[in-house]
Amino acid sequence: MAAEMMGVDMVTILVDDIELQVPKGELIVESVKRLGIEIPIFCYHPRMKPVGMCRMCLVETGTKQPDGTIRKMPKPQASCTLPASEGLAIYTQTPQIIQDRKGVLEFLLINHPLDCPICDRGGECPLQNNTLFYGPSTSRHIEFKRHAPKAIPLSEHVTLDLERCIQCGRCVRFTEEISGDGQLAFRFRGASMQPSTFALSAFESKFSGNTIEICPVGALTSSQSRFRARPWDLESSAGVCTLCSCGCNVWFDHRIGKLVRVNGRTNNAVNEEWTCDQGKFGHDYYNHNERQASVFIRTSARLESTSWTVGLGEIVTKLKSTGTSAGFLLGPKISNEAGFLACRAATALGSRQVAGIDSRVELGANFEVPADSLLSLEQAKVIVSVGPSLADTLPIVYLRVRKAASQKGAKVISIHSSPTELDEFAFLSLCHKPGTLSLLIQGLDGSLALEEVALQTGVSAQALKEAKTVLEGQGVSFIATNQVAHTEGSAALSDLRRLAKKLEANWNHFCETASGFASLASCSGLGMELQSPESILKKCLSGDIKFLWLVDFDPFELVKDRELVKQALEEVEFLVVQSAIASEASHYASVVLPQSLPAEGGGSFTNLDGQLQNFDAFLPKIGMARADWQIFAELLSRMDLAAGMFSRQDILQMAAKDVPYFKEALTGKQDHQPQPSGAGV
Amino acid sequence: MSLGILKDVARPILGGMGITAKRLRHKKATISYPEQRREQYPRTRWRHALTRYENGLEKCIGCSLCAGACPAKCINVVAAENTDEDRHSPGERYAVRYEINMIRCIFCGYCQEACPTGAIVLRKEFELANYHREDFIYTKEMLLEAKAST
Ligand code: SF4
Ligand code: FES
Repeated sequence: MAAEMMGVDMVTILVDDIELQVPKGELIVESVKRLGIEIPIFCYHPRMKPVGMCRMCLVETGTKQPDGTIRKMPKPQASCTLPASEGLAIYTQTPQIIQDRKGVLEFLLINHPLDCPICDRGGECPLQNNTLFYGPSTSRHIEFKRHAPKAIPLSEHVTLDLERCIQCGRCVRFTEEISGDGQLAFRFRGASMQPSTFALSAFESKFSGNTIEICPVGALTSSQSRFRARPWDLESSAGVCTLCSCGCNVWFDHRIGKLVRVNGRTNNAVNEEWTCDQGKFGHDYYNHNERQASVFIRTSARLESTSWTVGLGEIVTKLKSTGTSAGFLLGPKISNEAGFLACRAATALGSRQVAGIDSRVELGANFEVPADSLLSLEQAKVIVSVGPSLADTLPIVYLRVRKAASQKGAKVISIHSSPTELDEFAFLSLCHKPGTLSLLIQGLDGSLALEEVALQTGVSAQALKEAKTVLEGQGVSFIATNQVAHTEGSAALSDLRRLAKKLEANWNHFCETASGFASLASCSGLGMELQSPESILKKCLSGDIKFLWLVDFDPFELVKDRELVKQALEEVEFLVVQSAIASEASHYASVVLPQSLPAEGGGSFTNLDGQLQNFDAFLPKIGMARADWQIFAELLSRMDLAAGMFSRQDILQMAAKDVPYFKEALTGKQDHQPQPSGAGV
Repeated sequence: MSLGILKDVARPILGGMGITAKRLRHKKATISYPEQRREQYPRTRWRHALTRYENGLEKCIGCSLCAGACPAKCINVVAAENTDEDRHSPGERYAVRYEINMIRCIFCGYCQEACPTGAIVLRKEFELANYHREDFIYTKEMLLEAKAST
């Protein structure tokens, strides 16, 4: 904090007669926190601009007179819009303020239905809490209450109860300031003011779930977990979202061993406190009714349930004969430990055939640690995002880019072939004809005439010229994913990288899956290449691979070419399907292994900028299921390929010997270090 | 010798009989349960019941406040949403499952106190013994009052 204050003007203010040094202009509602004093709030949110709509945060103010006395202002002021200035005196506990707070709460409750017993927010509701601590103890209200429609489905995920809304504007401001889609606005005025979408259409935001969390009352609730549990029925456990490579920190709220909802957990280096809708509402697969619960082995034409000993025994026997032609397909959500052990198994067996979604070999790209972290991206002056919608592929990166643009004035250049969310606030949107990205890049690096490029790509020469000038400046960061190669060809991706290097810009080729970074790092540490799933499947067809292990990888969903998948699975001699949910691939399996999910088995996960995060298990495993890393640890010890893997910590220590990334992550920065409690099951 | 027997044996017996005979005239303090039953005190707290409104709707709205208040953690409530076709209680929410583990219950009545609608009440029925542990899980069907026959 001290470093942060350097170079900032400090002023002295008085808070409840205690002298305090704070940066000039800091909002008083924040300043008092330094003393551990709390001012009740509703509409203020530390990550959004203050609006002073609810008046809950009133304080008495005064100024220090030259003779040392304090002259109080006659009226209270909202502390969330009051910047600190020299000699300002604040009173947060005077009888006047205590009464004012009661008054504000009484006003807010006039129109609030007080249906707390059935409200999903009841029990964790700021309005309840503030009323309890600062409000009147009884009601004087005998008149009729305002009535409004209840439980309006605002979107697939969000339900709005208009009666409960206290018109704080947090949700509206979130869509304007944070997610940037500007989906919500207030209609009408006064007591009938309502948050709603403009044309009363569905609330289509990729981040709509956050409004549920920041709404200080139960006006916005989750449709998914509606009435599923009261807050006191729930247990919250810290977890990491594994649905994409961002690695958002989340709370998993569960009840009697079942996941109920997912909420954002604050980590300023990753997701701040936000989640995307995919992450917030996409974890229902934990409660899938076809969760794999036992080991199956194929006897003649049928799959029969068996024990781990028999199942793994069969695999070991098979691997002993066909080990050199064994292939592993790593799923997008597997833990670092499992990814490493699978790579390790492939090297030890001598086959070296490992594949994953984030493969880069076929794209002609090498694995490079991105130059920017999620935090440093915010400081970029120019951000060039290339490829399809960033908000879809890497939602949290999108939020960072948006924050950089809206709060730090970064210039965003969005290069794509179909409109994306970035266009809304991009400094320049270069929308090119599909398949012409390479040309466009050649235009930008000066090897082709701009007019010529403009003609071919459909981007105006003027825009290209502007982009070129901006790119020549300082602090440029490029953001790309494999999507660039998938849509525009691998040549475009390498051209782009060349351009970034030539401009001496930060080159960020981000992974897209939660297991991507670690499997790329493990492969390169063990001297292998992470291949693409397609190439492994083709090798199954050609007979180079006789033994295929799907490590929580559902090829029918993740590989486009369905025919190829089908033929490959039929062709391969021995197929191990390790999965958490029964999938189509099990029909082809020789052995099916039930795998638990991260919340049940634990694991560490590395996100796109290389932060290793621990995820400790807290839910019971289903049936015979085991954690992905446990399965591989047992396999390797049964085959005498490695020993001494009793906990996740042991595996990470082992990985640190072979893979420089893990060594760095384990010994390096403190916040990347897994907690010792992460070990074990 | 015989005098000793008279003194040590017969006299106490006769004395005891005497007391018994005297007591025969008093009012009886015991009753012959289970043929006869005593009226319970008005505030007795025994077996729970889920009550209904006069129109037959359940009072319980599935808010789980009883479960939150219960010091023995023996109540489990699972809620669901009312629809116009399938209405159980007034308002939006009702309890699909309402279970009390009677072995754990300490009959403190906190649930009754916490209930915002007065749905759960502890009544006078005290004969709760049973043969199997599972039988002590009282389900919503067991707890809910029958509809007043109209
Ligand atoms: S819906 Fe919630 S967040 Fe939005 S204005 Fe109303 S109270 Fe505030
Ligand atoms: S928090 Fe200051 S006015 Fe709402």
